[in-house]
Amino acid sequence: MKGNMILLLPVVLPVLMGAIALGGKGFRGNRPLLLGVVFTGLAGGLLSTLLAVTGEAKLRLWQLTESVEIGFQLDGVGRFFAVLTVVVWFLAGLYSVTYMTHEEDESRFFGFYLIVLGVLIGLDFSGNLITFYVFYEMMTLTSLPLVLHERSKEAVSAGLKYLFYSVAGAFLALFGIFFFTAVLGDLTFVPGGVAEAASFRGKEGVLLTAVFCMVVGFGAKAGMFPLHGWLPTAHPVAPAPASAVLSGVITKSGVLALIRVVFFIVGPEQIRGTWVQQAWIFLSLLTVFMGSMLAYKEPVMKKRLAYSTVSQVSYILFGLSLLEPTAFVGALSHVVFHSLVKNALFLTAGAVIFQTGWRKVEQMRGLGRVMPVTLGCYTAASLSLVGIPPASGFISKWYLAQGALSSGCGAWTWIGPVILLTSALLTAGYLLPLTINGFFPGGDFDGRELEERKLLGKEPSWQMLLPVLLLSAGAVIFGCFPGPLLRMLSEIAETVL
Amino acid sequence: MLVQNFPFFSIVLAMFSGILSSVLNGKQARNVSLGVIGSTIIMSAAVFFWCLGNGESYTYMMGHFPAPWGNEIRAGVLEGLTALLFSVIMLLSVLGGMRHTFEDVEPSKVNLFFIMIDLMLSSLLALIYTNDLFTAYVFVEINTIAGCGLIMIRQKGRSFSAAIRYMIMSQLGSGLFLIGLTLLYDVTGHLLMSPAKETVASIEAAGRYEIPMLVILAVISVGLAIKSGLYPFHSWIPYTYGYATPTASAILSGLVSKGYIFLLMKIFYRVLGQENVIASRMVNVLFLFGLAGMIMGSVHAILEEDTRRMIAYSSVAQIGYIYMGIGLGTESGMVAAVFHMFTHSATKALLFISAVGLYEVSGEKKDFRSLRGAGYRNRLAGVGFTVGALSMVGFPMLSGFISKLLFATSALQSPHKMMLTLIGLAVSTVLNAIYFLRLVITLYGRAEQVAVKGKQRCSFVFGGAIVCFILLNLFLGLMSQPVVRAITEGLEMFD
Repeated sequence: MKGNMILLLPVVLPVLMGAIALGGKGFRGNRPLLLGVVFTGLAGGLLSTLLAVTGEAKLRLWQLTESVEIGFQLDGVGRFFAVLTVVVWFLAGLYSVTYMTHEEDESRFFGFYLIVLGVLIGLDFSGNLITFYVFYEMMTLTSLPLVLHERSKEAVSAGLKYLFYSVAGAFLALFGIFFFTAVLGDLTFVPGGVAEAASFRGKEGVLLTAVFCMVVGFGAKAGMFPLHGWLPTAHPVAPAPASAVLSGVITKSGVLALIRVVFFIVGPEQIRGTWVQQAWIFLSLLTVFMGSMLAYKEPVMKKRLAYSTVSQVSYILFGLSLLEPTAFVGALSHVVFHSLVKNALFLTAGAVIFQTGWRKVEQMRGLGRVMPVTLGCYTAASLSLVGIPPASGFISKWYLAQGALSSGCGAWTWIGPVILLTSALLTAGYLLPLTINGFFPGGDFDGRELEERKLLGKEPSWQMLLPVLLLSAGAVIFGCFPGPLLRMLSEIAETVL
Repeated sequence: MLVQNFPFFSIVLAMFSGILSSVLNGKQARNVSLGVIGSTIIMSAAVFFWCLGNGESYTYMMGHFPAPWGNEIRAGVLEGLTALLFSVIMLLSVLGGMRHTFEDVEPSKVNLFFIMIDLMLSSLLALIYTNDLFTAYVFVEINTIAGCGLIMIRQKGRSFSAAIRYMIMSQLGSGLFLIGLTLLYDVTGHLLMSPAKETVASIEAAGRYEIPMLVILAVISVGLAIKSGLYPFHSWIPYTYGYATPTASAILSGLVSKGYIFLLMKIFYRVLGQENVIASRMVNVLFLFGLAGMIMGSVHAILEEDTRRMIAYSSVAQIGYIYMGIGLGTESGMVAAVFHMFTHSATKALLFISAVGLYEVSGEKKDFRSLRGAGYRNRLAGVGFTVGALSMVGFPMLSGFISKLLFATSALQSPHKMMLTLIGLAVSTVLNAIYFLRLVITLYGRAEQVAVKGKQRCSFVFGGAIVCFILLNLFLGLMSQPVVRAITEGLEMFD
């Protein structure tokens, strides 16, 4: 073990606290103690991550085989994802304090919730592809109990579906890892890619196949067609805070995987203009459009949000697939914005279920009279996802469209922006009806039922409200003052492209 | 050197303790067995480290007839390592299944059970160390008989028919092996491995006896393949592993089949010559059978409802992996095959033993659905099973992942078989994931009606065995480097 041990802290601390929360039998009936452990883990993870990302650091843990080592290293992309993850995790954790009172097996939920956090930080800090893969698999397995949480038949079948898609995707990607291990030997992440054209001479066909397998395989986690089927099934069955982080953060690990593979191992130059790039652009655009259409037709709120994730994460993948600096900045900024927005939306949906038990969008007429502040936050978040200036979605979509137009990818330069705009319209179509019907239920709306159930003005508790407020405020404020974020992302883009 | 006597000591010690146990009662016989296995571990470790330190192998003459007549034992790095791991796994299997052994076996016959264990150990060690083809044959037979005894000793339900099945298939295998040996003796005039190899080399160089040599190779390979349960000769596996007492299942699936594979490798390298085997294209046949086994074993396992038969079918798939590695016909493929042999021994024994712990708390029903929630009722067994299942699926940090990595990287060196291997690996991994993870999820599912009220405390010995198995798995997964280096060195010593 050589290097800066501080990198280990944000990985080990949450996992340790999670294990304590899982293992301790004494927590049954002693909620304050459990919450104490949980927040030690969350706050410790937050602080140590912030501490770790400030410095330059590298850590070699041990050699797995002769050519493969397990180790961490910090770079711009890793810092960016780690900070995002840990902040969102903390807020959703705060929300869970109230929310989980109406679910069983709290200690199991919180235990795995913390463990996944540690694993994700490990994923962000990974220094080479093998380490990355190790944490990637762990992430699948440790996030599975969150999906399975209710242990109902529906939850189990959703969990199995999640597992099979993830495992199939990961092993598809493993093919690529095997190939690169054999050809390159060393798979340490280097900005701009370690591969040189010379090392692949005579193997171009296999190289492209391997990259394509990895795009499809890692794309599974990001919900990209054709391996997107698990996402709308698995995300909604989890408890709301878990759906929020699954949709908002864990899908982004698929994005991170593709960034690592394409920009840090293979190198964008190797695939520019090949069929792989064409196929990648095509698949991501198809997913953008398809996800929006499916969300538009979906009556159940959480499922609608899950389909929306399918569509929105593929915006990011589209931005990456163009292999163009502006689009890259757009993609990474969309990672932040979508994370904030989707968490806010899922947490709102959870709050509605918690306070009223409504799950379908049509039931939510008159929601504005029940929880006006929450619905206000929902509206702000929705508007920024649709991309109405000055909220944040506008910025990322602007950069994506700019990037597409200057990318020189043939017909995609104009097809891309057209699909993005169409999908934005659909986004407005599936998100805003709730706002409209919630605040303006119409003249024929009969408020008596709300009165009978004593629902009027029943905002959720502050632990639930605060995260929703902060997340949606973040989504708007980042849109108004995107400068520092964009500058940082441009610096990253310069190193890799 | 004293150390050089250890292989011989351990074989003979195990054998004579069998004789001693016949006049002891069950508990005493158990203690003798455990003592013998323990001392074998120590002696094998000594042999391994001695060979590793000196960087050479040695032959050990038995009796006073020098080669090419006498009877010889040979020990090198690979032999020592295999003997060490096998005896460790044997010890843990015996300890883990101890309580069931005393429940399943009639009290007056418990000592017979431990005699079988002693004989099994002695024959396995002999198969590993021998440098003499005829000795190998004799111990193959002893091994078969001990195996039959282990299966039959339960004396319940289908264990008789299982034992008969095992007997018939095994005899078919040994018969073929014997024919191969006879032909080889005819052609070369030798039974010791080293002189036989020299003669084979001169025959090959002269280009004579082409067809007999091919027949010999085919007959020996198929004979040992039947005995180790390569698809499509696997029909006995689910019965024998599914109906025997847990210790027997763990030993049969984890060790016995591997003993034959080890013998086959040794014959390839030390008698027939690996380059001749590759030139004859027999490896391609093994490769295809292995691939078929990888896929079909898993398909059968998916269709199976009975947990132990499911684990047994998974052995068919894993044996397929090993033969696929041999079939790649490269040095690195062979290393991968040997490593997977160790992986599978450690993991499969763990699975069988921890499955027992889960059964105990679920009313001993066969259907895997009855295990719902068992992971909560016996936590340690649940964790053990989960680790074993994840390792078989190829989860990173566990030994199964390293074997898959080794297989895949070695496949990349043989261009014609690369795509087939990689596709085979990918498909079988997904299939493995389907049935193993289904089982794991069942273990942690919500029990509809709790079959057995309350938690049963698992005994200290059982718990210790499970923990050691898990550690062994982690060791192979995390510190694979020295093991792989030892295997490579050992294979080089074979020539």
